[in-house]
Amino acid sequence: MNADRLYDRSPRFVIELITAACLVAAPFVLPYLGAAPNTVNRILVWGLFGIGFDILFGYTGLLSFGQSALYGTGGMVAAYLLTRAGFPHVVTALVIGMVAAAAVGYLVGLVALRRTGIYFAMITVAIAEVFYFVEFNPLSDFTGGENGLPGVPTPRFDLGFVKLDFSTGWSLYPFLAFCYFLGIVVALRIVRSPFGAVLRAIRDNPLRAAAVGHNIHGYKLAAFVIAAAYAGLAGGLLGVMQAFMPPDAFMFETSGQLVMQTAIGGRGTLFGPLVGAGVWLFLQDFLQGTLGLGASWKLVLGIVFVLLVAFLRQGIIGGIRDLVRWVRHRAAPAREIAAEEAAPIVAADRHVAPLPAHPVAHAAGGEPILRASGLTKRYGGLLANADIDFAVMQGEIRGIIGPNGAGKSTFFKMLTCEVAPTSGTIVFEGSDITGRSVTDVCQLGLTKSYQVNQLFNRLTVRENVTIAALAELRGKFRLDMLRSLLNVKGLQEQVERTLALVGLTARRDVPVAQLAYGEKRRLEIALALASSPALLLLDEPLAGMSPRERVETVGLLKSIARGRTMIIIDHDMDSLFELAGRITVLQEGRVLVEGTPEEIKSDAKVQEAYLGGVNEDLAA
Amino acid sequence: MSNSKQSPTRRDFMRLGLGAAGGLAMSGGFIPRVFAADQPPIGTWPAGMSGNSVFIGIAVPRTGTYAVQGEDELKGWQLAVEHLNSGHPLMQKISPRTKKGVLGKEVKYGVADSAAKPNDAVQAEQRFITENKAVLMTGSTSSAVAVALNKLAQREKVLYVTGISGSNDTTGKDCVRYGFRQNFYGQTAAAAIGPVIVKAYGKNKKVAYLTPDYTYGHTVTKSCQDYLATAGWSTVTNQVAPLGAPDYSSYLLNVANSGADVLINVNWGHDAVLSTQQAQRFGILDKMKLVIPYQIPFLAPEVGNNLTAGVYAATDFWWTLEDKFPLAKMFVDEFRKKFGYNPEWGANNAYMSFAMWADAVENAGTFYPPDVIKSFEAGRKLQSTVGEVYIRKEDHQCVRPVIIVQGKKQSEMKNKEDFWNVLEIVPGEGLMQKPDAFGCKLGDYT
Amino acid sequence: MINWANFISQVFNGLALGALLALISSGLTIIYGTLGVLNLAHGAMFMLGGYAGFVAYQATGSYIVAVAAGSLALLVLGILMERVIIRHFYGRPHEDQLLVTFGLSICFVELVRFFFGSESRNVAPPGPLSGVVSLGFAIYPTYRVALMGIVAVALVVLFLVLYRTRLGMIVRAGIEDAVMVDSLGIDVYRVFMVVFGIGAMAAGFAGIVNAPVVSLTPEVGEAILVQTFVVVVIGGVGSFPGAVLGGLIAGEIISITSMINPGYAYVMLFAAMTLVLMLRPHGLLGTPGRE
Repeated sequence: MNADRLYDRSPRFVIELITAACLVAAPFVLPYLGAAPNTVNRILVWGLFGIGFDILFGYTGLLSFGQSALYGTGGMVAAYLLTRAGFPHVVTALVIGMVAAAAVGYLVGLVALRRTGIYFAMITVAIAEVFYFVEFNPLSDFTGGENGLPGVPTPRFDLGFVKLDFSTGWSLYPFLAFCYFLGIVVALRIVRSPFGAVLRAIRDNPLRAAAVGHNIHGYKLAAFVIAAAYAGLAGGLLGVMQAFMPPDAFMFETSGQLVMQTAIGGRGTLFGPLVGAGVWLFLQDFLQGTLGLGASWKLVLGIVFVLLVAFLRQGIIGGIRDLVRWVRHRAAPAREIAAEEAAPIVAADRHVAPLPAHPVAHAAGGEPILRASGLTKRYGGLLANADIDFAVMQGEIRGIIGPNGAGKSTFFKMLTCEVAPTSGTIVFEGSDITGRSVTDVCQLGLTKSYQVNQLFNRLTVRENVTIAALAELRGKFRLDMLRSLLNVKGLQEQVERTLALVGLTARRDVPVAQLAYGEKRRLEIALALASSPALLLLDEPLAGMSPRERVETVGLLKSIARGRTMIIIDHDMDSLFELAGRITVLQEGRVLVEGTPEEIKSDAKVQEAYLGGVNEDLAA
Repeated sequence: MSNSKQSPTRRDFMRLGLGAAGGLAMSGGFIPRVFAADQPPIGTWPAGMSGNSVFIGIAVPRTGTYAVQGEDELKGWQLAVEHLNSGHPLMQKISPRTKKGVLGKEVKYGVADSAAKPNDAVQAEQRFITENKAVLMTGSTSSAVAVALNKLAQREKVLYVTGISGSNDTTGKDCVRYGFRQNFYGQTAAAAIGPVIVKAYGKNKKVAYLTPDYTYGHTVTKSCQDYLATAGWSTVTNQVAPLGAPDYSSYLLNVANSGADVLINVNWGHDAVLSTQQAQRFGILDKMKLVIPYQIPFLAPEVGNNLTAGVYAATDFWWTLEDKFPLAKMFVDEFRKKFGYNPEWGANNAYMSFAMWADAVENAGTFYPPDVIKSFEAGRKLQSTVGEVYIRKEDHQCVRPVIIVQGKKQSEMKNKEDFWNVLEIVPGEGLMQKPDAFGCKLGDYT
Repeated sequence: MINWANFISQVFNGLALGALLALISSGLTIIYGTLGVLNLAHGAMFMLGGYAGFVAYQATGSYIVAVAAGSLALLVLGILMERVIIRHFYGRPHEDQLLVTFGLSICFVELVRFFFGSESRNVAPPGPLSGVVSLGFAIYPTYRVALMGIVAVALVVLFLVLYRTRLGMIVRAGIEDAVMVDSLGIDVYRVFMVVFGIGAMAAGFAGIVNAPVVSLTPEVGEAILVQTFVVVVIGGVGSFPGAVLGGLIAGEIISITSMINPGYAYVMLFAAMTLVLMLRPHGLLGTPGRE
């Protein structure tokens, strides 16, 4: 399962079938390899626990050290129901435990996800410790304190014609294997869905994912809850497997073990945690039993872990995959897609119909599509933008120029609501968007392409555009986890159109890392285009380009200008004067002057701003 | 746990039918069962004694807070196994029918590190049961492990004798038909040491407690409080600290300012060592008398500085009992010969537990668990290292004396292990609670 | 009805706890502030300092030598760790850095367990500092009082290095903007190495001076690590004064809660951290916008 590919090219259900086959074969094959049934059962439980964690960490990029809290919660709720509360049905209790863990995960996520990256990791550590303490002491009536909850029964099904009684060892295996299989099937659907695609976008570039119109907080919370549900179910199964729900489930060490197993097996593969658990438990038995190392088996494991993190970033599964790929490359000479052979933009595809822009709320002529009034931004003592009044009519191409430090990028950031203005208002299509979020604004039809490329670096060209298009087609948040990405109506069309417009159709399956700089800039523009904006801002689209690339890009910009409004910042005044109908000049945070390219070229104030008045002296 | 009441034949047919019906998706290798002539298989019987040897699974902490006590216990078991296999006279004094091995079969064992974690202990013992067909489980230093293994024993139908376990619950509300305990516990400790300290310090004293935050701690503290209240002693503060706390300063400051006359330290293992050392550094031991109601093996040497001088403690065994009981002398001599130091009470508990099990099996004439259990419950009196003892059938607790000791001053010590003076040997009968007082309900035999 | 003697002694105790936390947290915060790496092995380094000092103490019987050994050993280890391992992770995502330091912390703990076992080891306080002293409101171990002084001196030294030397200035500049420092032609990797070394040394020093108070076990670093996180979050990432303030606050929270219900002391600490995160995410003295 390759996390990096959104579009699964393997034949349908191959992975599911192989998994089922392996699970069925295991009890016949593994005993010959010396595996004890209880060990295999444990591996399955850890594997299931890890599926949810992998979705959270491998696919969404959120490293949580607090999964033990949810594992324990689900397990304790299920065990409590089955032991002290005398609840009769094991499977129902497991489901209730899972739901309880998901609910708790939701509440925990609300707190923890307020921060990202390292802060998030630290908070999850603290949460794990707090939960351990709480279950140990204040709630010990429910959790049995340090004794745990003993006496958890195993499942029994009375189907009428046959009674299924799963007790321990190999007898319990079918039940656990079935649960794991279900877990994998659901997880595979999730990662192949549009929801799963957005998760990966968040992992690669959360900033851009939000800017193309996804409500990343909602997605993260959903991923967190999913991980919590898997953890809760696994916790319940642990209690059933051992006939005893231990307090150790809540310990921070449990979270740590999960993280290590996932990293060892391979993150972002869904099966990584299973492999990692196998390695861990195997080494534990082997090193302690066969080699008689006693307590120092953990040292060996720690060293193995560090080495894997350093050298095999995608763990064992990743390593195997790379090996297979390397072998294949040697077997068949590859068609190397050289980075230098950048495909030129095929004669600007005039035949491609422009992407329909958002229908504008107000008809052309009359109110401007965008009006900023008194827009000011202050950073501490620094005044980046001062009292800017700015209006653009629909269908216009406006250029913005100004010397360095004029505050152009800050101005753009305020327009897209990446940054909140210190004072002033912005009205877009008649509604006040001041202080709203960049996601909402993008959904309304205002978006930007960035000065420094903000791409999804681990995805291909086509996948990058897909992410942006998904926001356009599905809105900022949708829990369509069980839908296939291929089934989203209009997605392929939108993606193909956008790619054609920027001339990247031939390079659609190339990973971003292998693109030439010019191609990356085009992709950058494509990301903004894919949301079909009514108003498109371009921050220095020509930066760093060779003269030939500039000409091509100007042609591209002209072709996409049809049917939409554009504002372009750039330093290349020749190109900008060719493109734009009107130019606004900023200097030191204020609007200096506004007019047609002709007027601006000959404006004395502009010359002075750029040249410092030398021209005047010479003319005089 | 109750069992299906169907006859074994139909149950086995059901299982085979299940195997076929499960078909593609579900299958498993079901262990074919060998029928005994009249009894259905149960637990690891008869598979576990089909050869020339039987296996015992031991899960003991070799790392973590209780590692030191765990190692001592383990040596007790090892010595017992050696004596069983060789038919040693000491073993034969305790279990008269023992000749060589148990019912002629050699005893083998396996050891796993539980790190005092219930989960790890259960995991290890489950392996011993499925892989080695263990006929007996043992091991614990923490009562949490003992309770967990109690439940495992009852589920798997494999006998379990506890290692060190001080909580009332082990033969109280968490008792099981398949579990047995030899050593003393909270209730008997409090009842034994209570009169001693009341006599020494007087009535109506103020007490401060240091309690570790788990069942063992809470039950021992409660037992002490209940007993001492009858002599007018009042609790001025009960400082509950988490297991493994590195720094007791906050708790000790509260104790120091509480105005107590006596400090009862219920902490165990390394926690007891640390809290006692820090108590001394905060000047508490100069102001208050220290009492250890549940003694910890190796406390005195680890805590150092002769901090145990004059301290009253209740324990299960101390090696100077060799002067009073001939069997104790034999045991201490044999242990010292093999391991080079005098055994602590954990080792004694381990040895005695195995000896009692061997006696029960020999008397039952079979390894069949329900028969062995009934043999335990028969109330036979055995000779032990502390005199005559027997197992009480209502809760599987061994009725045995509690030893009250007092720490010796450095100057009084005759050799480097002579830490404690045995003051009293309090008979067990009068100390124990009524059998049902702690809510013990033994489960089924099968 | 407040027992005033108890209250004052707990507040005092809180200062003692807090001072130690402040020292360890300063190490963590300058490493994170400068390198952007959250060193999950910091607690293990605290523990290693203690054991290194213990070994020296066993060999020489001198407390001073032990302290020096503990600090120097960790300075060297910190520098080695940065050069050999951490350096290769700067370009990699944060999560990878967390994973590798987490793995290293496990390795350190198990290595110590392998050589020293799990039993606790004692380091005695130096002769003149053992015993008790009467502070009026409480009897207090002399060494703990002395420890407050020792840690205060160490913090002052750290402060002087950071704020009064050229190296310290570069380090603080690096905390603000490492790229800029690099552009100015200063070998930023060397700075990183030094910072990591200093941070590790702070933890190691704290580990050995704290050893006479609590005995040494391989696990002694884990609890400290979590408390250090809390302090860093409360005080503000990358801020040395924040670490000091956060440490003292944390110490007082633990102590004062212990007066009422000792069991809840750590929960209150986490509650405080959550409160800070909700209301002032960059910490009390941190700079807004730092992640």
